[in-house]
Amino acid sequence: MTLHQMLLQVPDLALPFAPTQSQIVLAVVLPLLGAFLMQPLARVSRTLALALGPIVLAASAYLLIALSLEYGGAPFVVAIGGYAPPLGVVFYVDRLALLFATAVPLFTLLFWWRAEPDAAGSTDSARRDAVMLLLAAAATGLALSGDLFNIYVFYELTAVASFGLVALRATGAAYIATVRYLLLSALGSVLALVGIAIVYLLTGTLNLAQIAQLAPGTLANPAGLAAFALLLVGFGVKAELFPVNTWVPEVYATAPARISALLAGLISKLAVLVVLRLVVLAFDGTGAQTLLLALGTLGVLTGELAAWRAQDFPRMLAYSSVGQLGVVFIALSLPGYTGVFAALAVALHHVVVKSALFGLATRWNGSLEALAGAARTAPRASILFVLFALSLIGVPPLPGFWAKLLVLVGLAQLGTQAALTALAVILLATAVEANYLFRVAVRLFQRASDGAPAPPRPGRFDVAVASLLGLVLLGATVTIDPLSTWLGGIAAQTTDVDATIATVFPTPIAQTP
Amino acid sequence: MAYLTFETILYAGAIGLIALGSLGLVLSRHLFRLVLALAIAEAGANLLLVLTGYRGGAVAPILGVHQPGTTMVDPIPQVLVLTAIVIGVGVQALAVSVLLKIYRAYGTLDLRVLREHLELDLAKAAGIRAPGSQEAPAGERPLPPPIPAVAKAAKESAP
Repeated sequence: MTLHQMLLQVPDLALPFAPTQSQIVLAVVLPLLGAFLMQPLARVSRTLALALGPIVLAASAYLLIALSLEYGGAPFVVAIGGYAPPLGVVFYVDRLALLFATAVPLFTLLFWWRAEPDAAGSTDSARRDAVMLLLAAAATGLALSGDLFNIYVFYELTAVASFGLVALRATGAAYIATVRYLLLSALGSVLALVGIAIVYLLTGTLNLAQIAQLAPGTLANPAGLAAFALLLVGFGVKAELFPVNTWVPEVYATAPARISALLAGLISKLAVLVVLRLVVLAFDGTGAQTLLLALGTLGVLTGELAAWRAQDFPRMLAYSSVGQLGVVFIALSLPGYTGVFAALAVALHHVVVKSALFGLATRWNGSLEALAGAARTAPRASILFVLFALSLIGVPPLPGFWAKLLVLVGLAQLGTQAALTALAVILLATAVEANYLFRVAVRLFQRASDGAPAPPRPGRFDVAVASLLGLVLLGATVTIDPLSTWLGGIAAQTTDVDATIATVFPTPIAQTP
Repeated sequence: MAYLTFETILYAGAIGLIALGSLGLVLSRHLFRLVLALAIAEAGANLLLVLTGYRGGAVAPILGVHQPGTTMVDPIPQVLVLTAIVIGVGVQALAVSVLLKIYRAYGTLDLRVLREHLELDLAKAAGIRAPGSQEAPAGERPLPPPIPAVAKAAKESAP
């Protein structure tokens, strides 16, 4: 009996249908519909509105998991509205897209419940639930889109939803952080739009597979590189790419910690996914790789040094996440399969670790000094922090070590001057990372000074979430061998450009300039 | 003057608008000006996108109105630009509404003053020492004179 059949037999989970391929659009449509129904429904029945979000997300997660189990092996294409590509818009569903798409409803559910009341004093406002569903819908769409413009639309939708969530605390500081994030993000969108315009000018299409087909002849030139630079900086805003990451510390320090967990953990990786698709399908030249390497290296350097100087827990995590995403971009600069494999490993590891750490920051939201002696009041949370910190630094045999090793080995094999510099920077950053994370760990376990206020205790729910993610991490440590085979399979499928083109266009189309 | 075609002028205009808006976004320090700069940059990007479908002397892409074989402009960028315009307007409206909230909270839209407020608020919330005057690097430009609304609010909040 397959897992899918077992899922269908569980009465609570069994939907009245086994999903067909085209029903994958429901994973985007249902949360979107839920978001718009939320407010009217809340007028009718508050209880129904409260239940709507989790139900919709669970249904969407079930759908995606069932689809992964049924069709997960081979990539397929869903033409929206039945209009065939390249004129029609498609969802391109391969194992990578399904993986990220499935993670969206699951992580949204994980951080769905609120830790603190909003400005009006309520913890269950329908408005916020609607925005949360909007974020889930947009992020799922972003993972599945196989069309450059659709990616832009879903990216913007994700951005708008996250502005709403960042401003949730309704304090002056939250509004300032939101508007600065909004302006930077909007500038990024303008640049990305210009990049899209250049790509359209050069190739005459926006379908990613067709762009991949035409890329060797049309995008391998300075204009193509300019388009990539614009797209990279544009989509890099959400992926915390240097230098468009100035919003990161402010936003993660002012937004509710669970929202920060969602944004820093998963949503930033969806922007990375967009960059990854672009690099694999359209821009695999040395110019693009040099750019990624340079910006990634600068991101690692600035992020980790700033984290070392940070005095409060949320901003330390924020800067450290900038550094980690720098490593992802360095990994993406490695050519072909090696790069995608390493980038996915680092990115997925970071999703698990940073989500859990930001979850703990729901209560540990103050200065690092205030955490002195927290291990006495919150032993489980402290031990979990040490576990995640060790994995983040890359202590064997935790998964973080293998992920970092993949990047380092890739850089060493490449062996160019720039690659070796990046390698040295990553090693240096690891030392810095170890320093500041151990400093916090030591503080957690030291004896609190006399008369100091008792250190805050993370809530039971946050510790439970962190424990769950900690178990995932430990599980990954034990099963690192099959896990890397599985991830390698995904990376191989993602980098098989010819197969991608053949999937989207089973009958070759005439190449029109 | 062979290069100075109608199309070139349009492209130059679009790129100029983008450059102007981006410069404004980088250089301005009044939030409302930043939103205006954003609007200009977005207009430029939209113009550039619609220009990619431009064909000299072509007609609007409507089936059944023109003679078969007439050159039409590319309709795809036009469709995309509609979407982009709608998104842009939405984001700008959101920005302005947040500006309103900020003005009510601090009585100013000067980004330098607001950043100072932000740092102070964050430091206060976290219980750490703010990057105050003693730690600020030398050579920083002095702040503009206090805005009456802020000074008044500060006086009222002080015991």
